[in-house]
Amino acid sequence: MRLLLDIVQVALLVALAPLVRGIVARIKARIQNRRGASVWRPYADLRKLFAKEDLVPPTASFVFRLSPVLLFAVTAAAAAFIPVLHASALLGTMGDFILLAYLLAFGRFFLMLGAMDGGGAFGGMGASREALVSTLAEAPLLLALTAVAVVAHIATLAGIVQWTLQQDFFRLSAVHALAVAAVALVAIAETGRIPVDNPTSHLELTMIHEAMVLEYSGPSLALIEWASAIKLNVMIALLIALFAPWGMAAGFTAAGLAIAIVVYALKVVALTVVLAVVESSVAKLRMYMVPDFLGVACALSILAVVFTAVMR
Amino acid sequence: MIYGFNSFLLLLLAAPIISLLCVKMKKARALPPVLLVIALLTGAATAGVSFWRGDRLSLDLSRLTPLPFALTVDRLSAFFLLLICVVSVPVVLYSASYIERHYEGLRRDGLWILLPAFIASMVLVVTASTGFAFLFGWELMTLLSAGLIMMEGDAGQRRHNIFIYLLMMHVGAAAVVGAFLLFLPHAPGLTFAAMRTVAAQMPQGMRTAIFLLAFLGFGTKAGIVPLHLWLPRAHPIAPSPVSALMSAVMLKTAVYAFVRFGFDFLGTGPAWWGYLVLTAGAVSGVLGVLYALAENDIKRLLAYSSVENIGIIFMAIGAAMVLRAYGAPTLAALAALAALAHAINHALFKSALFLGAGSVSDATHTLNMEELGGLLNRMPVTGVAMLIACCSIIGLPLFNGFVGEWLAFRAFLGGSTLPPITPAIVLPLVAGVLALIGGLAAACFAKLYGVVFLSRPRSEKAEHAHEVPAMMQLGVALPAAACVVIGIFPAIILRPLMTTISELMPGTAMPTQVASITTVLPWLALTVIAVVAAISLVKRTARVTATWACGQPGLDARMQYSGTALSKPLRKVFARVYQPDRAVNISPAGQPYFPEAISYSSVRTTSFERTLYRPAVDAVVAAAHRLRRLQTGNIQVYLLYLFLALVSLLLFMRFL
Repeated sequence: MRLLLDIVQVALLVALAPLVRGIVARIKARIQNRRGASVWRPYADLRKLFAKEDLVPPTASFVFRLSPVLLFAVTAAAAAFIPVLHASALLGTMGDFILLAYLLAFGRFFLMLGAMDGGGAFGGMGASREALVSTLAEAPLLLALTAVAVVAHIATLAGIVQWTLQQDFFRLSAVHALAVAAVALVAIAETGRIPVDNPTSHLELTMIHEAMVLEYSGPSLALIEWASAIKLNVMIALLIALFAPWGMAAGFTAAGLAIAIVVYALKVVALTVVLAVVESSVAKLRMYMVPDFLGVACALSILAVVFTAVMR
Repeated sequence: MIYGFNSFLLLLLAAPIISLLCVKMKKARALPPVLLVIALLTGAATAGVSFWRGDRLSLDLSRLTPLPFALTVDRLSAFFLLLICVVSVPVVLYSASYIERHYEGLRRDGLWILLPAFIASMVLVVTASTGFAFLFGWELMTLLSAGLIMMEGDAGQRRHNIFIYLLMMHVGAAAVVGAFLLFLPHAPGLTFAAMRTVAAQMPQGMRTAIFLLAFLGFGTKAGIVPLHLWLPRAHPIAPSPVSALMSAVMLKTAVYAFVRFGFDFLGTGPAWWGYLVLTAGAVSGVLGVLYALAENDIKRLLAYSSVENIGIIFMAIGAAMVLRAYGAPTLAALAALAALAHAINHALFKSALFLGAGSVSDATHTLNMEELGGLLNRMPVTGVAMLIACCSIIGLPLFNGFVGEWLAFRAFLGGSTLPPITPAIVLPLVAGVLALIGGLAAACFAKLYGVVFLSRPRSEKAEHAHEVPAMMQLGVALPAAACVVIGIFPAIILRPLMTTISELMPGTAMPTQVASITTVLPWLALTVIAVVAAISLVKRTARVTATWACGQPGLDARMQYSGTALSKPLRKVFARVYQPDRAVNISPAGQPYFPEAISYSSVRTTSFERTLYRPAVDAVVAAAHRLRRLQTGNIQVYLLYLFLALVSLLLFMRFL
C-alpha cells in the first residue's frame, strides 16, 4: 500500500507537470487581460512534438540525442525523492537533499553538453549563461536545505517532512522563514522563470534555457520541455513539502488521501498564482544582475544556517 | 603474503635495471612494460589482500643501511599502495604505446628507466616505516619526477618551470625533514612505531611545531593554495602518462603522509589545527577551480583542477580534525572516510583525464581548446571514457566523484550537532563552499568536454583526428570503468576503508550515513537506467539536417562559442579573483574603427605571484647579495673564518 502510494506520487509529479505549466500560463494570461490558451495546451504540444521526427545536425555526436533522455530520466528520478501525499517517497526515505540537488545538476550538465553539441552559436551562449546561473544557485540551495535539515535533525526529505508535520505552523522558527525565501529565489533561477530567464522569450540574445534547446526538435524537444515542466513541479512540491506539508495523509484511509490530494492541489494553485503574479509584475533582470539576485538568496541561506546554531 | 610483497618489490626494482639492459636490444623492447605490469599486478594483489584482510607485512633492511630502513604495510599503507598499483597499471599500458609513438633513442630509454623507478619511489614513500626510508623515498620521488619531465625537453620556459618545481619541492622537503628532526631527541631511530609512542608525551608547543612543519611540507607537495605555484607549471609540461602519475598518484602520497602525521602520530590536536587545514582546503578548492575555469590549455586546466580536488580532500581532513578535537569520533571517521574515498576517486578520474588529454594531443598535436572540437565522433572510445571521467570529477551521482563529496557534505552537516557554537556554524557553512566548488567544476568541465569533444572541429588538426591505438584507448577506458563501478557500488571501497579508519582512530564506529548511500545508489542507478531504457524502446525517427543558420549559407566553426567565450560570464563575476592584465593594440593608433591590425592579450599572473612570491624572492636575492660581502677572495680572511668556526665549536662543546 505504502509502495503503491509512493509510486502514485512519482507518477503524479511526472504526469501532471505539464498541467502545472498550463495553469501558470493561463493565470498569467488572465492577469495580463488575455483569455489565454487552455490549461491542457502543454499536453497538446507534447503530443505534437512526439509525433514529429528529430532533426539532428550533421556534426552532432550521440550526446546530442542522449542528453534529453538522460535529462528526463534524472529529473523523473528526482521526483521520486519528494513526499507529496504522505510523509514518504519512493527514494525519499533513503536519499537525502544532497542527492536531490546533485541529480538536478546531473540533468543540467547534460543539457549544457547537448546544447554545445548542436554546433550553432546559440547553444554555446545558452550553456555559458546556464553555467553562470546554476553555479551561483548551487550554494544557496544546498545551504538553505542544510539549515532546514539541521533544525529537523535529519537529512532525508521524508524525515524532514515527518518532523515538520509534528510542529505547530505558528511556531516555526526564523530559520524556516529565511530558508523558504532562499529556496524560492533559487527555484525561480533553477526553473528559468522571470526575473532570471523568460520561458516565453523569442529574442535569442536574451535567452538562457531557450537558447540551449534552440537546435532541438521533435521527441527530443518534447522530452526537454517535459523535463523542465517536471523540474518546476518538483521545485513547487519541494517548497510545499519542506515548509508547508500540513494536510498530508497520516494513514492509508480513503478520506485522508482525498483530503491530502485536495489540500495539495490548493497549495499548488496558490503557489502558481504567486508565480504568475511575480512573472507579470517584475521585469526580467539584466544578466549581470542575476549574480546579485542569487547573492540575496545566498545571504539569506547563510543567515539561516547561522541562526540554526544561534537559536538552539 | 610477505612473499607477494617481496616479489613485488624485487620485480619493481628489477624493472628499471631490465630497461637499462634492454637499451641496445630492439627485440626486447616489449619486456620493460610487461615486467612492470606484472610487478604492479603483484603489488595490487598483495596490497588488496592486506587492505581487505588487514594482514600486516614488514621488511627490515636496517642491517644493510647506515640508518634504520624498514618497510611496513599496515591498512593505511596498503590502501595507498593499492591506489598506486591500480592507477599505475593503465598508465603503464598507455605508456607502452604512447612512448613508442612519441619518443625515440635516449629519451625513450630514459623514460622506461625512470618510470618504474618513479613508481618504486612512491611505493617506498607509502610503505616506509622509518624516517630515513621515508625521506629517501620522498627526495627520490621529487628528483625522478623532475627527470621524467626533463625527458620531454628542457628548453627556455620549460627549464624555468622545472627549476620552480625543484625549488618549491625542496623548500617543502626542508619542512618535512624539520618535522622528522623534531622527533629525533625522543625517538632516536625515527621508527614510526617509536614516533607514535613519543608523540603523545611531547609538550604541546613541540607538537604544534611538528604539525605546522608537516602541513607546510606536505601541503607544498599536495599543491595547497598558496603553495600550489609549481603544480600548474610542472604537470602540463610532463609527458602525459607522467602528468597522470604526478597528478593522480604523487599528490596522494602527500595526502598519505599528512594523514600519517596528523592522525597516526599526533593523534587528537587542538581544534585550530583542523580549522587551519579546513580553511586552506576551502581556499584551494575555490581558487583552484576558478583558475581551472579560465584555462584554455587542457593540461593546465586539469592541473588546476587537481588543486581543487586536493582542496576538497584537505577540507575533509580538516573537518575530521575539528570533529575529533570536539570529541565526535564517529563524525570524524565520516570526514576521514570522505577524504580517503575522494583520494582514490580523484586518482581514478584524474588519471583517465590526463591520459585522455595525451590521446587528444596525440591525435591532433595540440592541447589548445580553441583549436579542438568534434573529437567524440572521431575518437569514440576515448571520448566516452573522457565523458565518464568528466561526470565523475564534477561529482554527478552514479559516478565515483559523488561518493566522496557526499560523505564530506554529511560530515559537515553533522558538525551542526556539536555543542560549541563555532563548529556548529562553521562546518555547515563549509557545505556551501563545497556546493560552490561543485557548481564551478560543473561549468569548468562542461566547457572542457563541450569545446574539445562536441560540436564542430575548430581547426584542420581536429578535423583530421583519428582514434589512438588500442593500448592507449584501454589506458583511458580502464580507470573510467572503475569510476562507474565505484559510483554505483561504493560499498566496495567504503567498507574496508572504514576498517582502516577505525584502526587509525581507535574507538570509532561505522557511521550510519554510509549505509544509506550504499543502498540508495544502486536503486537510483536502476531507476535511471529503467527510464532511459523505456524511452529508448520508443522508436524516435531522426533526420540529419543542417542547423538553421538564419538563412545564411551555413554555420562554420568560428560561429560557435569558444572556450574563452564560454567561461566569460563567470570570469566577469569573479573578476576580483583573476585581475587580468589586458592589452589591446590597434594600429594605426588614430583609427579605432578602421584598423589594419588588432592584437589582444590577456595575462593572468595570479595575485599570489605578485603579493607573496615576488617579495619573498626579492628578499632572498637581496640577502644573498649582502652575504656576498663575506666572500672577499682574500686567503687570510678565509683562515680567520676557519679559526672562528673552530673556536665557536669548541666553546659550544664545552658549554653544552
